Amino acid sequence: METRLLQSIVDATARLFDAEAASIALFEPNPDRLEFRVAAGAKGAGAIGLSVAPTQGIAGYVFSTGQPIALSDVKDDPRFDQSVAERTGYVPRSIAAAPLVHEGGTLGVLQVLDKRSSPTFSLQDLELLGVFAGQATVALAAARVQRDTASLLRGALARVEPGLAADQLEAVVSAVTIQLDDADAAEPFWRVVDQVTRLRDLSDRELGIVADILEVLAAHAARAQRGRPGR
Amino acid sequence: MTDPLLPAWSEPFVDRRGLRRSARIRGVTRDWAWGGATGAGIRVGIIDSGLENDHPRLAGRVVRNVAVEPGEDGPRVVEDEPRDLFGHGTACGAIILSLAPEVELVSVRVLGADLRGKGTAFAAGLEWAIDEGIHVLNLSLSSKSEALFPVFHDLVDRAYFRSIALISAANNVPAPSYPSLFGSVFSVAAHDEPDPWRLYYNPAPPVEFGAWGVDVPIAWKDGGSTVATGNSFAAPHVAGIVALIRSKHPDLTPFEIKAILASIADNPGRRHPWRHRTPPLQAPDR
Repeated sequence: METRLLQSIVDATARLFDAEAASIALFEPNPDRLEFRVAAGAKGAGAIGLSVAPTQGIAGYVFSTGQPIALSDVKDDPRFDQSVAERTGYVPRSIAAAPLVHEGGTLGVLQVLDKRSSPTFSLQDLELLGVFAGQATVALAAARVQRDTASLLRGALARVEPGLAADQLEAVVSAVTIQLDDADAAEPFWRVVDQVTRLRDLSDRELGIVADILEVLAAHAARAQRGRPGR
Repeated sequence: MTDPLLPAWSEPFVDRRGLRRSARIRGVTRDWAWGGATGAGIRVGIIDSGLENDHPRLAGRVVRNVAVEPGEDGPRVVEDEPRDLFGHGTACGAIILSLAPEVELVSVRVLGADLRGKGTAFAAGLEWAIDEGIHVLNLSLSSKSEALFPVFHDLVDRAYFRSIALISAANNVPAPSYPSLFGSVFSVAAHDEPDPWRLYYNPAPPVEFGAWGVDVPIAWKDGGSTVATGNSFAAPHVAGIVALIRSKHPDLTPFEIKAILASIADNPGRRHPWRHRTPPLQAPDR
């Protein structure tokens, strides 16, 4: 889900800017790095999978400071990030980058390389890029909540019902988390998120009560699924 | 782009119709404010990625390099190598020197390999610079940390009460941003006219000043140069002008300097300011 959403955002960014490439790098710890996850545009593919230090180059600067920036004349400057650019097989003339800023910290960087219609990026370009970065951040944060919820739920269920078979466990997890896609079911879903987040601190007796709640919710989700055509 | 959710801080400085106003302070001209000044006697702190002291465009004007590093009792300030991790601090320093060639620059490096630009390091560097009494501080970065709101609030007040001018780049990212959104800070966004002296005053805060920040030829890492766009490069233009004003009028407070900048700004509707008989200070045209 995460990759698909990010891909649609870089696709739209590249198309809107009429750029040679657009990409998103996400921060990953241990060791600290910015990893290029998705890319779009004719010259973008080479960047996917590439990692750079969070203190390196434009992506690192934008990540570290949270300030959007655009550089032109990049190609003429032999000192600028040449090693990274060469690893992608593409050295840009101009680059614009905006941070993916979330409440808890900066998640990564959205970059656009070489607008075809102009040798430089304008102020409006930078602000528009900031809007796309905002979209990417929202998408990313939502995907991470779903992912974290699934893993928290899995862990909690394993503690409550140690004898539960793996496929049964997955069935309950997916029955609950699938409701994220269903706007009508958002309310009970967030209640579950809330409950699950608290599970870590509960005693065994309290966990028993939580297990009951989950059972009811899982049954509710299963019923809702059966009643929905096409699922 | 008038989406209220979008902090398009630069927009007033591109579409300048909203800046029309005629208020000026009689007698306050650019020549009065900084004519003949060079920035001599003024220290400017660059709170950023470091300064590359031997960069040709820094012209030997760097007098000190310190860095914030993590310590057991929180971040602490130590002497630093004359280096710049990204080139960004050097870019800001060179812009300031291009306007005020005789200021002394102090590098306060708060970005680094171990720091990842943590807000606490930024706050520690800012606190050190304020307590050192450095006259003008250029902050082309900001923190998003809600937890640091009171810390930055106190620091910004401390600077204001000690007559230290904080020049901060506005952040175009839709999120809270400290200290650039505090009232006593000189908050700056970019305009796109290639003139380092062209300055706009925006009577609708939080971003009060517009300076050149588009396709600016800047100094960069390893003695290099490049061309860049961002509010980060607008702020040092204002820092340079503020340093000039302070070198000619050392007793002026940040409040007075803001009023002077508003008075000498290039806002439209001011071509013949002395032809009309309206009082020199009047409410802005709305």
